[in-house]
Formats: sequence, structure tokens, C-alpha cells
Amino acid sequence: MSSKRHSILPAVSAGPKPPVHFSSSITIADSALLTGTNLITISSESVIHPRAKLDSLAGRITIGRRCVVHERTMIGAIGTSGKVTETAVTLGDYVTVEVAASIEAGNTIIGEGTTVGVGSKIGAGAVIGKHCTLTPHTEIPAGEVIPDFTVMYSNGMRRVDKRGVADLKNKGQARQIDVLRRMIPSNPAKFT
Amino acid sequence: MSRRPPRGEYIETDTGNKVARKATLVGTQNIMLGGKTVIQPEVMIRGDLIRSIQSSSSSSSGGTPNNTAVAIGRYCFLSRASCLRPPGRLYKGAFTYMPLRMGDHVFVGPSSVIQAASIGNHVHIGANVVVGEFAIIKDYVRVLDETIVPPNMVIPSFSIVAGQPARVIGEVPEGGHEAFELRELYKTVGNNPQPALS
Repeated sequence: MSSKRHSILPAVSAGPKPPVHFSSSITIADSALLTGTNLITISSESVIHPRAKLDSLAGRITIGRRCVVHERTMIGAIGTSGKVTETAVTLGDYVTVEVAASIEAGNTIIGEGTTVGVGSKIGAGAVIGKHCTLTPHTEIPAGEVIPDFTVMYSNGMRRVDKRGVADLKNKGQARQIDVLRRMIPSNPAKFT
Repeated sequence: MSRRPPRGEYIETDTGNKVARKATLVGTQNIMLGGKTVIQPEVMIRGDLIRSIQSSSSSSSGGTPNNTAVAIGRYCFLSRASCLRPPGRLYKGAFTYMPLRMGDHVFVGPSSVIQAASIGNHVHIGANVVVGEFAIIKDYVRVLDETIVPPNMVIPSFSIVAGQPARVIGEVPEGGHEAFELRELYKTVGNNPQPALS
């Protein structure tokens, strides 16, 4: 009889294969989608879930250490401005990009420790500070600068996160990555 | 010339589940479907995020530990592009994912992301809804479109919730229970769809 199927993953048409620079300790799922023409750099111990999409057509993508990129995300999307710059998207260390979030290309910088919530849309050229929390479905207009430790919630309101838990969050993220590395079968050789 | 029947859009199993060929199901051995459930195209279910800490009682009983990541009841309907993902947290010093349990007759609207701990029976979730991690939704709840349910929220039975963050804005009226039944909707989908009752 046919062997038991472990996953149903319909094929997705892919674009050009980008040059990549992976650290040896990353976990990248087999069905992640990497397309584009510019360099994609993923630093040590980061995790890319299945069906995450990294598109470097508009510029380089740099992902910091211990980042987690969830499924259905789109990093490097070409926004309405359509500009092509050298570094499209830069993610700092310990950043979490949650399900269906979309980060547009154009010198967009996400600071260290920030959590980009489910379904958020970050416009081109936005600069998000360190340890921010963007709740689900937040939309950041292009070019916006968000200061450090900000929480963006319910339709554009902001407040400052005074809990001082940045270190604890980083340690928690390191533990999460330990577990994810065992759970997600990693296949970096497919993309190099 | 091939005599095979044209490949339908859905795979229909013996228990009556209708799973679209274009749905993305990761880790299918940890996903339990109750029966007569519809999974539309572009749905994503993460069955690979299983519990990483097994409680000691399961290992002493000797059987294989229960590795369910996502358990779905009967007559559920998962609309296009929705995503079911088990919630994860730091538990006893280590990070672990907990199973996502859904009851019967649950309708999940298009493009919704569900990371709840448990969802009761006869729940209607609208389009573009985000249910945060470890939320608990009880029975006969209607979640309106574009609602964001924050993590750890408990939504009591018979309520109507909306907003960002979600607030209880009303209660399901006395005669409104039949609106949650999904048997008719199940028949309208699939390779041989029956027309909907007007």
C-alpha cells in the first residue's frame, strides 16, 4: 500500500533562486519559499517555519540571530512605492514575525526583540524600535518611525511598555527556539 | 485516452471529511478530524507543533503517548486561507505547545488565524478574525468579522463578541441556536455539491 503521508503540501510556483548566506545552526523548513535575486542572510539559531516567504527581488534581506518567522509571512514584499533599494528588510536579533504578517521592502528595519503580530502589515521604509510589540493586524504606514519599547494596539493607539521584561523575553525566545529546532525538520541544503 | 474520473477539488474520506487538495496540512498524523468536516483550499493546519513535554502518567501506562496537535469535531467548516495553530507557552520552565481542541459545528471564516486552547460546540467565527494563544471560547458563541481575541481570554457561552480587543457586545437570542448548525453547509461543498436550501 502507499506509505502514510506525513503532510499535504501543494506545490507553489517559485521565482528565481536567491543567493543565500546561512549560519550553520539555523532551522529552515523544507517548504519555506525563498525567491529573489539579492542576498538573503539568516544568522545563527533562527527558525523559519514552513510556507514563510522571503522575497529578495527588491533588495537584500538580513535576519538576525534567534529570530522566529512563522508561516504564511511575506518578508520583502514590493509595496506601492515600488522602489528598489540595496537592503530591503533588516530584522534585528530575537525578532518574532507571526503568522500572515507582511513586511514591505525598502530599507525597513525591525529592531531587536520586537514581536510583529499576526497579520500585521509594515510599510516600506518603516523603522521599528527595539522590544516593541505590534498586536495583530496592526498597519504601519510607510516611512513611519516607532520608538523603542512601544506597544501598538487596537487601530493605531500606542503606549510605552514599562515592564522591563526584555531580558526575560529573550530567554523565553531562546527556549522556544530549542524546542522548535527539534520539531521542524530543517533543510538548509535545499536553498544553498 | 484516460477513463479516470476528473480529479475533484476535494478528497472525501470514509468518515465524510472533505479535504481540499490545495489545503496545507503539516503533520497529518497529529491532526484528528471528527467526521463530516470541510477543509477548503489554502487552509493551513500545523499538526507538527506537538506537545514536547509528556506528563509522567502517560509513560507509566505503557501505551503510545497521545500526540494530538489539533483535534476537530464533527461538521466543522474551515473556510479559505484560515490557519489553525496550536498555542505555545513556557510551562514548568520549558517551552511547549498545547493541543488545540475544537468542538462540533464550528465555522471558521476566511483568512482567520486560530491559536486558541479550546473552542466549544456551535461556534461561528467570522472572517479575518485572530484568536490569540490559549483563548478559550465556550459553546454557541458568535465571533464577528475582524475581531481580535487577545491571548488568554475566556469567552462565555451564548455571547457575541466583536472589536479589537474583543469585547462581549451582546448575547445570542433565544431562537438563534439553529443558525449555528452546519449540516446544510456541509452538503453544499465538495465534488458533488447539493444546492443550498433557500
